[in-house]
Parts: sequence; structure tokens; C-alpha cells
Amino acid sequence: MTSVEIGLWVSGFMVLLVVIGMRVAFAAGLAGLIGLIWIFWSKRGYDPEMFGWALGVAVKTAGQVPHGKVANQALSLIPTFILIGYLAYYAGLTKALFEAAKRWLGWLPGGLAVSTVFATAGFAAVSGASVATAAVFARIAIPEMLKAGYDKRFAAGVVAAGGTLASLIPPSAILVIYAIIVEQDVGKLLLAGFIPGLFSAVVYGSLIVGLAVLFKRVGPPVRGFTWGQRFAALPPALPIVAVVLIIIGFVYNPFGEDAWGTPTEGGAIGAFIVFCWAVAHGMRWPELKSALLETAKLSVMIFTIIWGVLIYVRFLGFADLPGAFSDWITGLDQPPMLTLIFILLAYAVLGMFMDAIGMLLLTLPVVYPAVMALNGGDFVSAEESAFGMSGPMCAVWFGILVVKMAEFCLITPPIGLNCFVVAGVRDDLSVQDVFRGVTPFFIADAVTIALLVAFPAIVLWLPSLA
Amino acid sequence: MANSGAVREDGSFLSRLDRDLARLERVFALVSGLAVFSIMLFAVVSVTGRNLLNRPVPGYVDWIEQLMPFIAILGIAYAQRDGTHIRMDLVVGRLKGRALWAAEILGVLAMLALMILLVWGTWAHFQRSFDFAAPLWSRDSTIDIALPLWPAKLIVPMAFSVMVLRLLIQLAGYSRAFILGLAAPVAVPLIRSAAQVAAEEAEALNAKGG
Amino acid sequence: VEWNASLWGSRRAFTEHVEKLAELVAEKSGGEFTINVSYGGLSKNTENLDGISIGAFEMAQFCAGYHRDKNPSITVLELPFLGVSTLEEEVAVSHAVYAHPAVAADLGRWNAKLLMTSPMPQYNIVGTGEPRDELAEFDGMRVRATGGLGQAFSAVGAVPTSVTATEAYQAMESGVVDTVSFAQHAHLSFRTIDEADWWTENLNPGTVNCPVVVNTDAYAALSDEHRAILDESVPEAIDYYLENYGALLDRWEEVLAEKGVEKVTISEDQLAEFRKIAADPIRETWIADMSAQGLPAQELYDLVMDTLEQTRAGN
Ligand code: NA
Ligand code: NA
Repeated sequence: MTSVEIGLWVSGFMVLLVVIGMRVAFAAGLAGLIGLIWIFWSKRGYDPEMFGWALGVAVKTAGQVPHGKVANQALSLIPTFILIGYLAYYAGLTKALFEAAKRWLGWLPGGLAVSTVFATAGFAAVSGASVATAAVFARIAIPEMLKAGYDKRFAAGVVAAGGTLASLIPPSAILVIYAIIVEQDVGKLLLAGFIPGLFSAVVYGSLIVGLAVLFKRVGPPVRGFTWGQRFAALPPALPIVAVVLIIIGFVYNPFGEDAWGTPTEGGAIGAFIVFCWAVAHGMRWPELKSALLETAKLSVMIFTIIWGVLIYVRFLGFADLPGAFSDWITGLDQPPMLTLIFILLAYAVLGMFMDAIGMLLLTLPVVYPAVMALNGGDFVSAEESAFGMSGPMCAVWFGILVVKMAEFCLITPPIGLNCFVVAGVRDDLSVQDVFRGVTPFFIADAVTIALLVAFPAIVLWLPSLA
Repeated sequence: MANSGAVREDGSFLSRLDRDLARLERVFALVSGLAVFSIMLFAVVSVTGRNLLNRPVPGYVDWIEQLMPFIAILGIAYAQRDGTHIRMDLVVGRLKGRALWAAEILGVLAMLALMILLVWGTWAHFQRSFDFAAPLWSRDSTIDIALPLWPAKLIVPMAFSVMVLRLLIQLAGYSRAFILGLAAPVAVPLIRSAAQVAAEEAEALNAKGG
Repeated sequence: VEWNASLWGSRRAFTEHVEKLAELVAEKSGGEFTINVSYGGLSKNTENLDGISIGAFEMAQFCAGYHRDKNPSITVLELPFLGVSTLEEEVAVSHAVYAHPAVAADLGRWNAKLLMTSPMPQYNIVGTGEPRDELAEFDGMRVRATGGLGQAFSAVGAVPTSVTATEAYQAMESGVVDTVSFAQHAHLSFRTIDEADWWTENLNPGTVNCPVVVNTDAYAALSDEHRAILDESVPEAIDYYLENYGALLDRWEEVLAEKGVEKVTISEDQLAEFRKIAADPIRETWIADMSAQGLPAQELYDLVMDTLEQTRAGN
């Protein structure tokens, strides 16, 4: 059996383990370890006496991965982003944001829903996780929308969709993970998420305004705030602005002078500001301790998937499966753009059943090199490329596309985690209700993705400046 | 997907073991959380040092890399206790009674096999970086300021050994449930629907004053 | 026989000798002995020696400065201001050191046999703003330099800053560092040259040493014929590397002219001053530390100096 065939069998085995319910990190790690044993043993012609040797080499090779791969400075962004999210609750930032958005945007048709979308976008600037964002706003925004006479399903849909913005607008844990797997510049990717994130928010907002004009179930505008009240609502939300400015300043100084540091430092300084704000709002050791424990738990969950999957990826390296897949994809007799669209559709299907981080980690090691090869290679110039962009830019563009796909999957049935979360928060809403309410956004997302594919400049303009 | 659940407790020997180990796991997790916190403080020191005093922290990257295994690995068993490590429960979620416990036993056995082998593999990784005869016992060091790598490498088999103990307790818990036909056994995370999970998560957030 | 070679990054001037070696070996053995070159698929670059030690792959490239404690003996080649000025001299001193029994024993603990070096030119610096051609101007300069080079710069008051190679461009552009110390091919591929206003032509502060090693057991298990093919292909592979890198250095001159990057020449007495402040104390500390570990440190340093002299005399 060739090593590529071994690669395919083991990959199939891993998918089976995941589907029957083995925890993703361990399914990937176990499949990778078994694959390594198989590969090394095959090198010795399956000699029974050499099995012990193959086992030892495989186990020691896999044993390098957990420490070797997590001891990476860029990965420190993940726990700091998670910590920022937890600290933000104590700082009272979520309520402050919603209040400010309501006073400034409430006058629009469907004003409360529009406010919800932009408040989630604002919260996204301190939160790296979509599901947490949806959970928080389900508590704050849905009651207000119901009071104003919104259809409950629609109100739930707004929150579920708004939550997805957290993973595009920096900080974003999932973009960091993408950058690590594909070994690209973290700062560029975070920067690239900004405009598509805001763009998605604007598409959601326009959709709501349109629906509000057409249908009664979208509630009436909320008027009557004075300019004084509007400005009064801003200071409590200030740390968000500070964090946004700092993260931008650390990646690309808008004032044209020296940047203040690396993205990893920027994330950490952002966390420090929110921490100070939370202390000023009464956070003490017991609250901090539980925030730290929660951060530790969520971080270790993500990192376990990372090293588990990277054991599997190490095996793929020995099996040379990514090379073979890439050769196959580039050898297809059809336009590269069509192939890319098929890849994105495959993500839509996969994402129905899988968690976003797990999905990216499992697929990118094979899919990413293929997409880069499709464009013409890692260092291709824009003129000679298939998609009209240089190799590094293609890495950024594809990253934003797959993250947007992963976010899309958070609101699609049957496993749309954001919808589950919203339904879980509200006793009066079933999961089916939320899925029905989120359907218009589902279409909005499809439109957004099509636009990002058709007009890569939306994604690439900002990072090309830096 | 993520189905972390409360773990039932009672006065039985197994439940006592579960709680004893949980105390250790909690300490590990707290150390891990403090490591995150120190990364934050460290960045503040580094940035102010560089920008205001033109004196960056020497080996900043090396120190962060030393802290990462504490964050990424140490809490692994803490997360396993209540089932935080994610999985797809489309299939498992439909099982009930003995069929469910049998499936859980198989899953835990597979994880146990992996973790035992990885204790071996990560210990070997530690050993290659450790040498009693060398200065600071170091046979492998960081790139910039040559910090010894063995302490951070030792964290991994240590945390994985605790994970093995945790899996053994869960194996006992599920086996007991299978043999006795229990509905809600102690010392194992109980599957709840995604909606239940979400409700509890939101409850927890709300309690914190979100 | 099928070997795996673990490298990292992508194919570049720095890896051409391994590619050439694979080509020569396959050709001479009629396809019976092949070497698959993998860029990062088999290991992380700082763990290539671990992989060799385990036996996961048969050949690997790494740099001594990645992990001083793993390979203390060959860090002699990374001491600042050794005075090596051409790639040919770099090859000669490296291979002389690799052949020393203490060095073979040092790497032998990793089950590794040193096969050949990957000669790199001196790590001259590029910088932005006014050219710095006097030692006094190095005071407070934020420089991206690692290991012994970093120590040398800090001896004259510069501030070595931790930035990875891939982050170097961004760090320079954003002002996190003022200058970056790299070999020419790296200034080109990590684009630091695009940000630069000047480049030091003759600072020649030192370089990094990146050997290619093979697993001892795999080497011993080769048939006599295959082992001979591998050994005799090494000089050819190195020649090819030197020729290829030479072409790159020609292009370097063109790029400097094209981008209007100023070549900064530092005066001989300033260089002598730098050597006195930085090179001598660092070398003495190195010799003391390594002797304490039981290595023939002075002997290794003398070997480098003697080889350098002979190489120059031979030309
Ligand atoms: Na975000
Ligand atoms: Na879905």
C-alpha cells in the first residue's frame, strides 16, 4: 500500500471516530498516532520483529507535538482573547454597548434589531468567540425587542446572526488558529477581518431595514432620545474604543508613525485595559479567579484540539497526502474559480455537522496547500495568479472566506451552535424557532460570501496598506 | 457540540476519588489561568519598557514560549472532568442506558490508550532535553536567551498523567453504570442537550453581571 | 532505499545543496536510493535533531543557534567576528570543525552524523534613516539579531530585540526595530531590503551555522555502494550551492542599486574597536563555559583560526 493510500484510510478512520462521538482532539490524535505506526512499520516491510521499533518511533514522534507546537508566541493570542471576553462581562461593557447603539441607531426602521447587530459588532471588538457573544446578547437584547413588539423568532435570529460577527472582527481566536495552521502573518489576518466584519454587519443592518419596511413583524423604530442622552451613553462603552484603537495601533499605526508593538502584545494590552475597567467596576479576586478558571478551561479545550490535530497533520506529512491532494486539485480540468467554489460549498456542508474550530483544523492542512497551488503557488505574483492576487494575499483572502464559512455554519441547521445557545437562553423559544428566525440572515450571509469571492478587494484593501 | 455537564457526587469511594483528583485538577487549572494573566502583565512591561525606556524585556518571546505549555496543557484533565472537550453527539446523544454507557466505555478506552502512549512519548521528549551532567541540567534551550526547555517539557507528561488518572476514574464510573444499569452515575459528566448547556452557560454569565 | 530529509520553510538558495544531493544520489544509484525532501512536514525546525535521534527521518538540516544546549560544540562557528569573509572559507572552517572527534561525539549523542554545512554569508545589517557607520551610533539601536550576534551588538550598547524572521519586515516597518541582521538571501526573501535605506557592506559581524546531518544507524545500514554515492556527492552538492548562491549575490548588487539602498562602509579602526569590545570578551566567555562542560573549546577555536589561515594561503 502506498503512503497516500495509508493517508486516506487513516483519514477515513478519523472521520468515523469523530462521527460516532469520540472527542475531536483525541480522535485526531489517535488516528494520527495509528497512522504514524502504520507508516513506519510499512517502511520495514511489516516485519513482525520491527513492530516494536515502529511503535517507539511513532510514539516519540507524536510525543514531540504537544509541547513543540503549543510553545509558540503567536498562539498566546488565543488565551488573551478569551480572557478579554470574560473580563468584558465584569466590566459591564455589553449593556453599555447595547444602550449606546439603541440611542444612536434606534430611530431606523427595525431600529432595535439594527442596534443589536451593531452592538454585537462592537462587542466583537473585545470578544474573540461567537457563541459567547450570542449568549450575552440573547439576555440583553431579546427582551427589549419583544417589549417593542418584535416577532420573537425574528428577534432570536438577529441575536444568533449578530453573534457570528465576533470571529471576523478582531480579536478573533479562529483567525489566529487559521494563521497558525497556514503559517501566515497573524497581524495581517486580524486586520483583514475588520472590513468583511463591518461589511457583514452593514449587510445584516440593511436587510433588517428592508424587512422592517416590508413586514410588520419587524418592530417599530425607537425614537425620542436627545443628543444629550446619546452622548451620555458613550463613555461607559469607551474601553471598547480604546481596545479597538490599541489593537489597530499595534498592527498598523493609523497615525502613520511607528506601530506600538506586535499583535500579540496588542491583544495583551487590550486585555489589560479591560481588566483595569473591570476592577474599577467592582471585580475582585473571587470574580477574577473564576474568570481565570474559565479562561483556562476554554483555552485547554482549544489547545487540545490544536495538538491533537497536529499529531494527525504530522502523520499526513509522512504520508504526503497534502501534496497528493494538491496535485489532484490543480490537475482538474476546470476553471480554478469553479474549484474554489466547490471547496467553499464543501465547507458549507461539513459545517452543518461540525464545530468551526475542529472543522478548520481538520481540513486546512490538506485544503490550504491545494488552494494556494490553485492560485499558482505560495509566492506567485498577482499578474500570474489564477485569482488575480499574490500568494500571501491569497492566503489572507482564503482565510477570511473559510472563517466566514465557519461562521455561516453557526447559524445553519442541523447543528447551528449560535441558534442552540439562543434557544437555550430563552425558555419561550425552541431551536426550530431560532432557525426559522435566522433564515433571512442565512441568505444575507450567502450574498456576503458571494461578494467577498467576487470582489476580493473588500478583504484585501486594508491588509495591503499595512 | 460541547457538552460539559455537572458531575454527580455522593459518599461512595469512587466519588471521593473523583473529588480528590478534582482538587488537584483545579489547582493545575488555576496555575494555567495565572499564566494567561502573567502573559498580559508581561506584555505591559515589555511594551512600556521598549517604548518609554528603550529597554525591551530580554528574551520576551522565549519567556512567552515557556509559559504556553502551562496554558495549553496543564488544565487538560480539569476540562475532561466535566466533559468540556468537544465532540459530535449526534450519535451518542441518541443512546440511552446500557448502550450509552457501553459507547462511553469504548470512547474512554480509546482515549486512555492514546494518553498512556503520549505519556511515554512526551516523557521521551522531556528526557532528550534533560541532562544531569549539563549546566542547569539543560540539553535543549530557547533560541534567544538560551532558557532551559526541560521544565516546560516536563509539564506535558505530568499533565497527561493526571489525565490518565481522570480517564481511569471515568472508566470505573461508566463501567459501574453499565453493570448496575444506573441512570445518573457519579464521577462522570452526564450528557445534556445543547440547549441545556447553553442555558447554564448563559446563567453563569448572567450571574457574573454581564 | 528511500530516505526522508526534514527541512523547513520552502525551497530556496539555503536548501539547494540538499535538493542537488537528492538529485545526484538518485541519478548515480539508478533510482535505487532516493531522498524525499520535506519542507516542514516531518518536524518543526528546532526539533529536527530530536527527529534524527528518534529515527523518524534519515536526514535533516538545522541551525546551531536554535538550541545552543543541544549542540554546544558547533556554536564555535557562530562566534562574532571570526573573520570569515567568503562562502568558501565558511565551508572550509565548518567542515574542519565537523571532522573534529569532540564535535562528532557531541552530535553523536543525537544519533547524528554531520554530513555538510549550509554556508551562509555574514549577517550584515540593513537599516532605515541615517546610515550608522560609527560605533557611537549603535548605542540604543534596536536590532533584530539572535544568539552570539545579539550579544555582540549589546556589547556596544545596541538593544537586541526578539522578533522572528517572518515578523522582521513588519517589525522594521513599524519601528519595533531599527535594523535587521540577516544573510542576503533572507533580506531578500523576508523583504527587509524593501524597507531599508542602507546596508553595511563590511561590518561582517558573524553568521549562523546550519549543518545537514544524517541518522547514524541509517547511514550505517546503507550498502557500501550507496554510502559511497552519498559521500562522493557531497562536494558536488556544495559546489552547486556555492554557484547558485553566487548568482544570488550578483542579484543582490542589482537590487541594492535598483532600490537605491546605500552601501555603508565602516572604517577599519571602528571595526577594530568593535572587535575589541564585543568579540574578545564573548569568545573568552565562550571558551571558559565550554571548557567547563568538558569540551576542548580552545582547541576548536584554534582549529577555526588555523583552517581560515590555510584556506587563505591556499588561494
Ligand atoms: Na472579535
Ligand atoms: Na451548522
